[in-house]
Amino acid sequence: MLVLIFALLFQLAAASLTINIPPSTNLPNPHVLPATTHATLTTLPQHGRQDHILTTSLTRSSTLVFRNIPSGEPESYLLDIRSSEFVFAPFRVDVAADGSILGIWETFRGNPWDNRGAEKYVVDVANKKTTNVVVEAKVLGRKGFYEERAKFSPLSLVKNPMILLAIVALVFTLGMPKLMENMDPEMRAEFEEQQRSSPISGASSAMAGGGFDLAGWMAGATPKPSPAANAEGTGSGAGATGRDSGSARRRA
Amino acid sequence: MSLEANSEAKRFYSTSSPWEARIGYYRAVRRGQHIFVSGSTAADPDSPPEAPRVRYPGDARQQARVTLEEIIQAIQAVGGKGAESVVRCRMFVSRKEDCGVVGEAFREILGKQNGGQLRRVRGRLVAISISAQSCRQHHPLLPPLLPPACRSSTNMRLQAALLAAACISPAVAIFSDEVNHIDFHHALLGAPSSDSTFFLKPSSASNASLLYTLSDKLILGAVNPRDGALVWRHNISRSDSPAGGAGLLRGLDGNNAVVGAAGDYISSWSAQDGKLIWDQQFDGNNVADIELLELEDVTATSDTRDTLALISGKSFGSVRRFDGDSGAVKWEYIDESGDIPFQVSSSPTEVFYISLQSGLLKSSKIKVTALDPITGRQTSQQVLNTEGDITGPESVLFAGANTASPLIVWTDKAHKSLKINVIGSKQISSLAIDNTSGEEIRQITVHAPHKLNSLPHFLVHYKTGSGAWAEVYHVDLKSAAVTKAYQLPYLQGQSVIATSSIDANVYFTRVTDSEVVVVSSASHGIIGRWNVDASSADYAQAAVAEVVAKGKSVAVRAVVLRDSGDWQLIRNGQIEWTRPEALIDAVAATWVEAEEKEDLAHELEVEGHDSIHGAYIHRVKRHVRDLQHLPDWLKALPQRIVSSVLSDEVTNLDSFGVAKPVIVATRSGRVYALDTGRQGAVIWSVQASEQAWDVKDITARPGQVIIDLSDGSYVSVNASTGKTSTHTALEGTKVQSIANFVVSDGSSLVRLGGVGIREDGSPVTPFNDITGFLVTTSVNGRVLGWIESDNKTPVWEFVPPSGQKAVKATARPAHDPVASIGKVLGNRSVLYKYLSPNLVLVTAVNEKDHVAGLYLLDGVSGRVLHSATQAGVDPTQPISSVMSENWFAYSFFGDAIGESSAKGYQLVISELYESSIANDRGPLDAAGNYTSLHSSGAESLPLPHVVSQSFMITEPISHMTVTQTRQGITTRQLLCTLPSSNSIVGIPRPVLDPRRPVDRDPTSAEAEEGLFRYAPFLDFDGKWYLTHTRDVAGIKDVLSRPTLLESTSLVLAYGGDIFGTRATPSQAFDVLGKSFSKLQLVLTVVALTGGVIFLAPVARKKQVNLLWKAT
Repeated sequence: MLVLIFALLFQLAAASLTINIPPSTNLPNPHVLPATTHATLTTLPQHGRQDHILTTSLTRSSTLVFRNIPSGEPESYLLDIRSSEFVFAPFRVDVAADGSILGIWETFRGNPWDNRGAEKYVVDVANKKTTNVVVEAKVLGRKGFYEERAKFSPLSLVKNPMILLAIVALVFTLGMPKLMENMDPEMRAEFEEQQRSSPISGASSAMAGGGFDLAGWMAGATPKPSPAANAEGTGSGAGATGRDSGSARRRA
Repeated sequence: MSLEANSEAKRFYSTSSPWEARIGYYRAVRRGQHIFVSGSTAADPDSPPEAPRVRYPGDARQQARVTLEEIIQAIQAVGGKGAESVVRCRMFVSRKEDCGVVGEAFREILGKQNGGQLRRVRGRLVAISISAQSCRQHHPLLPPLLPPACRSSTNMRLQAALLAAACISPAVAIFSDEVNHIDFHHALLGAPSSDSTFFLKPSSASNASLLYTLSDKLILGAVNPRDGALVWRHNISRSDSPAGGAGLLRGLDGNNAVVGAAGDYISSWSAQDGKLIWDQQFDGNNVADIELLELEDVTATSDTRDTLALISGKSFGSVRRFDGDSGAVKWEYIDESGDIPFQVSSSPTEVFYISLQSGLLKSSKIKVTALDPITGRQTSQQVLNTEGDITGPESVLFAGANTASPLIVWTDKAHKSLKINVIGSKQISSLAIDNTSGEEIRQITVHAPHKLNSLPHFLVHYKTGSGAWAEVYHVDLKSAAVTKAYQLPYLQGQSVIATSSIDANVYFTRVTDSEVVVVSSASHGIIGRWNVDASSADYAQAAVAEVVAKGKSVAVRAVVLRDSGDWQLIRNGQIEWTRPEALIDAVAATWVEAEEKEDLAHELEVEGHDSIHGAYIHRVKRHVRDLQHLPDWLKALPQRIVSSVLSDEVTNLDSFGVAKPVIVATRSGRVYALDTGRQGAVIWSVQASEQAWDVKDITARPGQVIIDLSDGSYVSVNASTGKTSTHTALEGTKVQSIANFVVSDGSSLVRLGGVGIREDGSPVTPFNDITGFLVTTSVNGRVLGWIESDNKTPVWEFVPPSGQKAVKATARPAHDPVASIGKVLGNRSVLYKYLSPNLVLVTAVNEKDHVAGLYLLDGVSGRVLHSATQAGVDPTQPISSVMSENWFAYSFFGDAIGESSAKGYQLVISELYESSIANDRGPLDAAGNYTSLHSSGAESLPLPHVVSQSFMITEPISHMTVTQTRQGITTRQLLCTLPSSNSIVGIPRPVLDPRRPVDRDPTSAEAEEGLFRYAPFLDFDGKWYLTHTRDVAGIKDVLSRPTLLESTSLVLAYGGDIFGTRATPSQAFDVLGKSFSKLQLVLTVVALTGGVIFLAPVARKKQVNLLWKAT
C-alpha cells in the first residue's frame, strides 16, 4: 500500500516535458500530422540502464508529452521529433540527476554537441522548479516524396526548336507570295532583282534547276552555263516570255 | 526567351575587393526573388591578398558597421530595397566580449524589426551572412583518414555564399501514378484476438463505423470495413513490460476513444485518427482488466468516458478509475487480501471488482466486491460458493458484459450444467446442458451484448469436435432468474457467433460452412439468411458482426477471424476482403523462378552442351514444338495490341522478371506465396508446421523452395501448388545458421551446397565436395575461418581486441557484379578499386566501454586489412553494416565524447582502392596472381587504401542492403531500413562518396566527376524514400534481386509488414515509362503526314514556278 502511494506520488513529482506543435508556415494545421508522429529522447545508456531511449506518441491536441523522465544521473538527451512528411528541428534536453529539466536548446546536426542554438527553456534556479516544461517544436520543412511527371502542354511543343523552324518555314512558304503580291510593283521588281543577284537565291534557283555545281558555288564561282543548263535555258526562256507576256497583260 | 528564363537568370554584384576576383566569388548574387550575400567582413580592400588587413583593428563595433553597410550596398546594387529586405542574418564573432557592441551596431543599421528572424518583405527575400575576421568552424565528423590540410581557413568567408549552393544529388523518386503499380504493401496487425475486436462508431457524429482490434502482436489498429485498409495502428507493447499474454481493448459507441492495455501499459487513443489521449505505465504491475464506464454521472463533462482498470500486482489488486480526457486517477480501491484480481465490471449503479479467493484443494471461490462509481468506496461484498468448479481464472467462462445485468458464467467440471450468477446477487442459477450431439463438448463461449441499455439476453455456444450448437437465455431483471429462450440447431462443421445490438435489441449472427444467419435474441425466427461458401480448411475461430436494420429485414457485415489469423469480411453473404494477417512476423523470404522459365533454361543448357549438329536439330525441334502455341498467340494478338496502348505500362515487363512470385515463411509455421505482379496478392498459403518453427534459411530451387530449420531438418515446398513435405534430419544437431556456397555464373547464381553452423561457429559436417572456405562467428564473439576438409579446428581465429565481441560479420553479396575495375577521375586518370571477393567486414562491440570496432578481414587468411574504432557507441541500438563492390558502410548511434564531437546517428562510408595514387595499381601492378596466404613476398595481398567519410543522419538504421542489378552498371543504392519512421530509404551512392571535398568547393575536375562539397549532415531527401508515404512497420530484412532489365532491381522487405517494390537507382533508362504516350506519338506521325500531304503540292508548285522564273 505504502509502496503504491509512494509510486503515485513519485509519478506526480517527476518532471514532464510537453512539446507543442504550433501552426507555422510549413505546417499551417498541426492536426494533419499522422498518428505515427512521435518524439524520442536519446542518449547513451548509463550502467546498463534500459530507459535511455524514451518515446512518446502525438496526442490529439498536437502535443508530445514525456512523463517520468528517469532520474539517476544528469543526462543530456537528443530530442528528435519524427513525422513521415514533416521535418522538425532537433533539440538538446539537459536533465538533472533528480529528473528535472535544466534546459532545452535547439541543436544542429553535424555540429558539436556544445554548439547550442536558440534557447528554448532554462531552469530558473531562484524560483521553484517547474515540474512541467513546455516548449514549442519547430518545423523545418516538408518532404516531397514524388517525382512530378512532365505534363503534356502545347506550349512545350511549340518551344521545340524543330517545330519553331518548321513554323517559320511554313510562314515563309505560304506568306511570301502573299507579301509579294501586296508589294509595290517597283519595290517588287527591285526585290526580285536583288534576290536574283544574291548568291543564296542563285543557289536555290540553280538547285531547283538541277545539275547544281555545289563545289563551284561554295568557291564563289558564277554558275557556268553547262550543256544541261543550256538545255534548261531554252525552257526557262520560254517560261520567261510567258511570264513577261502575263505581266504585260496585267500592266495593260 | 521566356519570362521564366528571365526570372531565373543570375545577377551579380562585385566590389573592388581583390579577393573576389582572386578566389572567384561575388559579393552578392541575385536569382529570381532571392538575393544571397556572401560572407562579409571589415576587410581593407586596399590591402594585398597575401597580407590581408582589417579596417578599424580592435574595434568590433566599427567593423560590424562597415560590414553591414557594405552588405546593404550590395543588396541595393542587385535591386534589393536595403536594410528592410533582410530576412536572415548570421554573425560570427571571434571574441565573446564583442557580442554586445556588434549587436548594437546591428540594431543601428538593420534595426530591431529585422532581428534575425525569417520574414517575408513584399515578396523579396534576402539572405545575408556576416562573418568577422576569424571564426571557428567545426567538422566534428571529419574523418580521420582525410589529410588535415583540407581544413583551410581562407574558405571561411565563402561559407555563407556556399550555403546557397543546392545539393546536387541525383534523386530518383517514384511517380505518384506508379504507386500500387510497381510497389505493394501489406500493412499488417497480426492475428486479431477475438475478445478485443469490435465494430465501433468512432465519434457520436459519424455514422460509419470502423473495425478495431488488438492483435496477438499487441498492435492496436483500426481497419476500414469497406475495403480492409488500415486507418491507423500503434504497437502498444513496451519492450520493458513483462510478456503479459494477450492485451485488452475496449471501446464504446459514440465515445471518441479506445482504450488498450498490454502488460503494465495502458493507453487511450482517439478512435478517429489514432492519436494519443493519455497513457500510464505501472512499473511491472500488470493490467488484468479494463472496462469503459458507460454510465454518465453528474461530473461527466465531455464525451470521453472514464476507464476502469484492474491492476494486478504481486500481492495486491487495485481498481482505478481514470479520467477519460487526462488519464488522471479519480479514485483507487486497493485489495490487499491476497486474492487473484480477475475482472472489473459495471452496472448502471455500481462497479464490481471480481477476484478469486483461493480455497481448499486448488479450487477457488469468486468474490464480488461492489464499489461506488463516484467515490470508489466498497458498498457490499459477496463470496460465491463455487468450490469444486473453479480452479483458476481460466475456468470462468464469462464475467461482466457491462449490461444492466452483468453475469458470471462457469460450468461444473464435467460440462453437465451451466452455472450463472447475476453479479451483485448471491443467487447461482444452475442450468443443465442438453448435449444431444453425442460428442464431448470442447469449448463453451458466452456471447452477451456490451451495452447498458441492451436487453439482458445472452447466448451460450457449445462446440464439439465436429460441430456446434447454441442456446439463448434471458435474464429476468427483477428476480435475477435465468431462463432458456430457444436453441440454434446443432450443425456439422464450423460455426461462430457474433453479437451485435441496435438500441436495446440484441442480434446474434451465426457464420457456418454454408450460410450466414441473423437471429434476434428475443425470438428464434431467422431474420436474415445468406448462402455463402465460407468453408475452408482454415477454421473460423471467432466473428464480430455489425447488423443494420432496414425496415423488417437486416443487413449484416461479419468479420471472421480464422485459425491462421486471416481476417475475412462477409457482407450479406459476399466475401468483401481478406486480410492475410498471418503474414506478419515473416522470418524468411525468397523469389522463385517460374517453372516454364526453368524449362527453357534447361533446354538451352542441353543445346549448349550438345554437338553443333545435335544442338541444331534440338533447336529446330524445339521451335517446331513451339508452333503449337501459335494459334493461341494469334488469338491473343489483337487484345495485346489494344491493351498495350491502354495499359499503364508501355511494355508488359512481366517477361523481364519483374513480377516474380515470392515465397514467405512466417514464424508461426505458415508459408505464403505472393504474386508481386498483382499487388502481392496471396497465391496460396499452407501451414507447413503445426508449431512455430525456427527457420534458418530459405533457398529457391527450380520449381520448389527448401526451408531449413534449426534442428537440421528441412521442408520442401512446391512453388506453384504449396504442397509441402518435411524431411527430418538423421542426427538432430542444433544449428545456429546455414551457410550457402554460391557462385555467380553470369547474372545468375549457382548454389553449390550448404552446411549448418553450430552455435560455437563450427560447421556441422566437413564440406569436402565444395571448394571454398567459410567464415563464421561464434557465440563468444570470435570470428573463425574454416577450409573444406576440417570441421574441428579452424584455420584462423580472429579475436577482437580490448574486450570487444564480434556481433556481426558481413561479406559482399553473392551477386555483386563490378562494371568497372577503376574509378575514372575528372582528369581522366583512374583510381583502381580494391576488389577482393574474400572480404569480411566484422562488427565488434565492447558493451561496457561503448566502443565499436569495424574490422575488414581477408576471409582466406584472417588477416586484418583495415580497422576503424568508434567511441561512444550505443551497443543497444542497431549497428548495421553492408559491403559491396569496393566499399562498405555502417551506421550507429554515437554520443558526444569530446569537446567538439556531435551526438546522434552516424553513417560511415569507406571506399577501398588499390593505391592512393591515380593510375597506380599498387604492389600487385603487373602480377597475374596473388595469394592471401603469404604475408610477405611479391605475391602477397597488399593492404587497401581506404577513404572514409562519416555523415550525421537523423535516425537509426536497423538494416542495410544494396540494390543489385544484372550487370552492376546501374548506380547502386544503399537501402536503409529506418525503424523509427517506418520507411525504407535508398541513398544514392554518388551522395555517399567519401571523396567529396571537405571545407572547400570541388575543383572543376572533381565537379566533372560528380563530387560535391562535403556536409556533415546528410538529410534524407524525400525522393529517396522507396516507401514514399507508406508506413512500413517492423521490417527486419530487405532483399534485393536483379531482373533482366539492367535498370531495375527488385526489392522485398519483410519481418513485420510485407513491402515490395522495384528500385531504379539510375532511373528506368531501359523501359518506356508511363510518360511515353503512344497516343501522342501516333498523333505526331499523323500530323506530320498531314503536313507533308498539304505542303507537297505547294512545294511542287513553287519549284515549278521557280523553274519558270529562273533566268
